[in-house]
Amino acid sequence: MDKRIDFDTAAMFASDYSRTSKPVIETDGLTKQFGTVAALDDVDICIREGEFVAIMGPSGSGKTTLLNILSCLDTPSAGTYRLDGLDVSTLTEPERAVIRREKIGLVFQQFHLIPYLTALENVMLAQHYHSVADADEAMEILQSVGLSARASHLPSQLSGGEQQRVCIARALVNEPAIILADEPTGNLDEENEKLIIELLQRLHEDGRTIALVTHNPEMGALADRTIRLRHGKLDG
Amino acid sequence: MAVNSKLRSAFLWRMLVKALTVRKGRAAIAVASIMVGAAVVFALTSLYLDISRKMSEELRAYGANFFVGPAASSPDRRFDLAAYRRIVASVPEEKLAGASPFLYGVVRLDLGNAVLAGVDFTGLKAISPYWQPEGGWITVDFDERNCIVGRGLADKMELTVGKTVTVFNRDKTFRTELRVKGIVETGEAADEQMFVNMSLAKKIFGTGGRIDLAMLSVVAEGTEADALAARINTQFPEVEAKPIRKISQSDGRILDKIEGFMALVAAIILVITTLCVNAILSAMVVERTPEIGLQKALGADDRAIVLQFLAETVLICLVGVALGLVVGFALAQVLGQTVFSAWVSLRPLVVPLTVGISLVAAIAAAVIPIRSAIGVVPARVLKGE
Repeated sequence: MDKRIDFDTAAMFASDYSRTSKPVIETDGLTKQFGTVAALDDVDICIREGEFVAIMGPSGSGKTTLLNILSCLDTPSAGTYRLDGLDVSTLTEPERAVIRREKIGLVFQQFHLIPYLTALENVMLAQHYHSVADADEAMEILQSVGLSARASHLPSQLSGGEQQRVCIARALVNEPAIILADEPTGNLDEENEKLIIELLQRLHEDGRTIALVTHNPEMGALADRTIRLRHGKLDG
Repeated sequence: MAVNSKLRSAFLWRMLVKALTVRKGRAAIAVASIMVGAAVVFALTSLYLDISRKMSEELRAYGANFFVGPAASSPDRRFDLAAYRRIVASVPEEKLAGASPFLYGVVRLDLGNAVLAGVDFTGLKAISPYWQPEGGWITVDFDERNCIVGRGLADKMELTVGKTVTVFNRDKTFRTELRVKGIVETGEAADEQMFVNMSLAKKIFGTGGRIDLAMLSVVAEGTEADALAARINTQFPEVEAKPIRKISQSDGRILDKIEGFMALVAAIILVITTLCVNAILSAMVVERTPEIGLQKALGADDRAIVLQFLAETVLICLVGVALGLVVGFALAQVLGQTVFSAWVSLRPLVVPLTVGISLVAAIAAAVIPIRSAIGVVPARVLKGE
């Protein structure tokens, strides 16, 4: 019961954040052309600190293209993108690499864990590119996602849900400005999906800013708000 | 800062050891390729550095390479045996493979005349190692009862091993009976001559300690032989010493050809090694494309990717070179024994040289794979494209 109250309060609080806290992501006229096809067309979005935003839309609507640009893995053809107050739309690849390691935590549908590194080492990998690999700190993060007992396991020894939790721990370990998740439950069974939804919900309650691409209406419903895309444009 | 750098290196090391361990098969082939390249470079370089000495020693087996004759001013076209002894004594012991004086004259045998040479048999054996007399050598220097006869002369005079031959000097004032101890076939003028100890020849010819010439086998490379000749000519004006050019020049030509051939073989092996390592590293990069994409997505810049693959290449190379040095040393010994029947000495210079050349080859092999790794587009590979 208490938890429910907490959840409601947190949701209200988060919603309140969306009006008062500073923007983490701001795009203005964001456009991405692939030849003659506009994958994104004049998209303006704003995600504020502490917000949990779902990006939804049918296949081919431009969700992944948008997420790639927001992740600084790709650049827009036109328009501006400000991340944590910095215009990142015109940065070079080496500069975007710095932004990725400093500001962004990525969660993938296919987890993308390095198969020959243990769960702990996979988390430490993100630290290695950010600053210095710190086993104690990485262990704390694994503990926070309930995987301290599996730290020395290889990805092949973990279930899908556990692998996704390692992926989330890796995204969190450098305290990024935003967590960007691409279909985080797309490869999971129902039970693990539920675990991951709860984990993301808890992260949101802890004040993390999260944007996730999903087809899952249940997950979309948990977000503070939903950005809908259709044919590369904002829908509604 | 230093601690951070140490921790970073520690994690990088841990990661690359695991990355290579998980691809044991490919890494082992790369190590083996480098090992072969390094072994060939090591063996051929060791041989190259030793070859002048080995060739010089080897050519000694084909006869004397230093001639000492009387000076032009000598009235009887001979010089003193004592001068010969002093000349031999003046050559450093380690440089002298052997030497023999020669005193020639015509003697009468039962069936006709023949050329008889007085020699020092111990020295003659050393400067003519290819002489393999049927019967045997005369091994005692004061032996005045045996002789060695050339095959041609033996046939003409109907001499066989063990037979006794009567020898007169030209005016028949000296007569002796000699047993044929050995018959030698040389393919040279010696086939028509008979050989006895110098002490006996002096008695037969009555030259009073004068000899016609001397032949020496000297271990001398390049200009050393000329320098030795110049020194002897200055120190002993009664003689004229000179290296036997025919051997020295062919020695040089053969050396040039062998060295060129070895350099060519080493270069070809290195190119093959480089191509092989390149193919393996390229395959490893292709296999690891998603991993590289992930690393880039996590913020790894080009420098980090280059550093990681370079470190892996250098690690593979160092393991390969370490094995290559051992195999190369063994290979050098096999080549040394096969070609020169001699051990090839370990020269410290060859080790850094082999390591350096192998590193250059391995890094050259890694250039294209590393460029491919840098070119990985994370957004594409993380989507499984």
